[in-house]
Amino acid sequence: MGRYTIRRLLQLIPVLLGTTFLINFMVWQLPGDPFAGRCGQRPCPESYITMMREQFGLDQPMLVQYWNFLKNMLTGDLGVDFKQVSVASQLADAWPITIRLAILAVTIEACIGITAGVLSGLKRGGFLDNSVTISTLFLLSLPTFVTGYLLQWLLGMRFGVIKPTVSDGAPMAELIVPAIVLASLNMAFTARLTRTSIVENRRADYVRTAIAKGLTNRRVVSVHLLRNSLIPAITFIGTEVGSMMSGAIITEGIFNIHGVGGLLWRAILGQDYTIVVPIASLLVLVYLLTNLIVDLLYGVLDPRIRYE
Amino acid sequence: MTEVLSAPSGGGTHGGALLEVEDLHVEFRTRAGVAKAVNGVTYRVDAGETLAVLGESGSGKSVTAQTIMGILDMPPGKVTGGQIRFRGVDLLKMPDDQRRKIRGEGISMVFQDALSALNPVFPVGWQIAEMFRMHRGTSRSEAKKKAVELMDRVRIPAARDRANDYPHQFSGGMRQRIMIAMAIALDPEILIADEPTTALDVTVQAQIMGLLAELQRDSNMGLILITHDLGVVADVADKIAVMYGGRIVEEAPVHDLYRRPAHPYSKGLLESIPRVDLKGHELYAIKGMPPNLLDMPSGCAFHPRCPYRRDNCVTDVPALYPIDGARGSACHYWREVLDGDSR
Repeated sequence: MGRYTIRRLLQLIPVLLGTTFLINFMVWQLPGDPFAGRCGQRPCPESYITMMREQFGLDQPMLVQYWNFLKNMLTGDLGVDFKQVSVASQLADAWPITIRLAILAVTIEACIGITAGVLSGLKRGGFLDNSVTISTLFLLSLPTFVTGYLLQWLLGMRFGVIKPTVSDGAPMAELIVPAIVLASLNMAFTARLTRTSIVENRRADYVRTAIAKGLTNRRVVSVHLLRNSLIPAITFIGTEVGSMMSGAIITEGIFNIHGVGGLLWRAILGQDYTIVVPIASLLVLVYLLTNLIVDLLYGVLDPRIRYE
Repeated sequence: MTEVLSAPSGGGTHGGALLEVEDLHVEFRTRAGVAKAVNGVTYRVDAGETLAVLGESGSGKSVTAQTIMGILDMPPGKVTGGQIRFRGVDLLKMPDDQRRKIRGEGISMVFQDALSALNPVFPVGWQIAEMFRMHRGTSRSEAKKKAVELMDRVRIPAARDRANDYPHQFSGGMRQRIMIAMAIALDPEILIADEPTTALDVTVQAQIMGLLAELQRDSNMGLILITHDLGVVADVADKIAVMYGGRIVEEAPVHDLYRRPAHPYSKGLLESIPRVDLKGHELYAIKGMPPNLLDMPSGCAFHPRCPYRRDNCVTDVPALYPIDGARGSACHYWREVLDGDSR
């Protein structure tokens, strides 16, 4: 497995180079001058624009710009944004909040999604199964921003159970509702995935063997059936951690959470590419790494998958 | 159904045999209708005895075994009548918890396809050790030691090292040995082997059958050997029950049945075995198709395929007629079958 891990890590290099190049290319080549609208009502003076273009190297050819970007990223120098504020310090403020939100969301997703899936799969066709099927269908057909604004209005404004927006420090308690919003789609999907695999495996030969061994019903389900049925759910949840970080853009926007998503959201609106590019690149890296971890985990969970 | 086999010698204090299936009826309620899978099966197995249950797919041989084990999927399956007495007690009336304890301890089962019957995500030693841990409360390390001993007993080479391997890392024959080790772990009194060699190559088949026979001799288990392969049972079984359409159509000591079958179906089965001395001749095959369980033929279920058919076969269900006290045939014309060479 060690050799496999090293090979997979080496494979990350070309993928990262390709994606970061595309991100740079697309963002910097977008139409519209990022400096044109920075001086209030009046057009910016030519001298300001020239100065800024020089500072951020926009006067240089594309490939040189990309080379400089790589050099800066590798030395850990993220530079400053167009307002001359350090990008690194903004990221350092935002990451912990997003990670907190993502951990909370994954926990909710795993606990509720898997429990609902297991229970409905075991009692197929029962009341609980039907309610899970209907509610997951409901969740799956609602886009995140609808769930978000709905819960914000309902719980925050109508009933006043929560604060409509999260305060600056983003304490755990205030992140619960946003985490539910962020988790809702994946939670529904996890429930369905778990249910399907429970239903499939319940009739499996090895489950019949476990019953024939004279094991208690509880042991048959909780050891023999669950261990096999959770493999697809766990790998799905793992794969989605990466996209959950970037998916936080909408949720963080709605609840005014100052995480990475919110930072990225404001940077895109303000055409501040010095922030968009490093964050997008970091998200790519997070995505690739979580995928690698999931692949390795898969081999641990299912001994039939072996990495040579 | 009449009991035709002579009363068993052993069997303990309750007077009957170790395991007695009596007039068992099982059906499956499906959307297409009610499939009558088992229609009045009666057989008995004693300690140290081997009963081979022979029949094609859908004859009810596996369903009977699953009902004995209590692992039938219910629903759609449903036991509609009969008794299964183990040490004189009817398993079908037993509370679930008591019945569960008999599984593995008293009656144990080996399945056909060991690759799918073993759990793919647990090491084989762990799966064998689970028997001791869950039934006897043996400690983890002690159970592991016993599992290795069992793997040695079923002759898996380098058992100690291989106990930590997973099912997919073994060959078919070795996997079946592991299944057997798991089934005999708690010294059950009855072992049911449901087509234990069907998924294996011929040479391995012989080894596994030999192993089963040897284990049975050593521990004096009653063995129920379910198969569709006449060749497999000849050396191992004491008596044979041939099933067709959910009934036993012939029951006899194994050599009697081989020498002189008393039911047209058993006769057909024997004649469809390839023989070296008949090389070049066309191989005999029983005409027609197995019966549709949703719509069983009237009278004798075998009549649409039977070369001995007369008018009353279509209307009258034949009872299991006793022959010579030790065997039985559910054919109105068993005398003709027994005597005649032609079909």
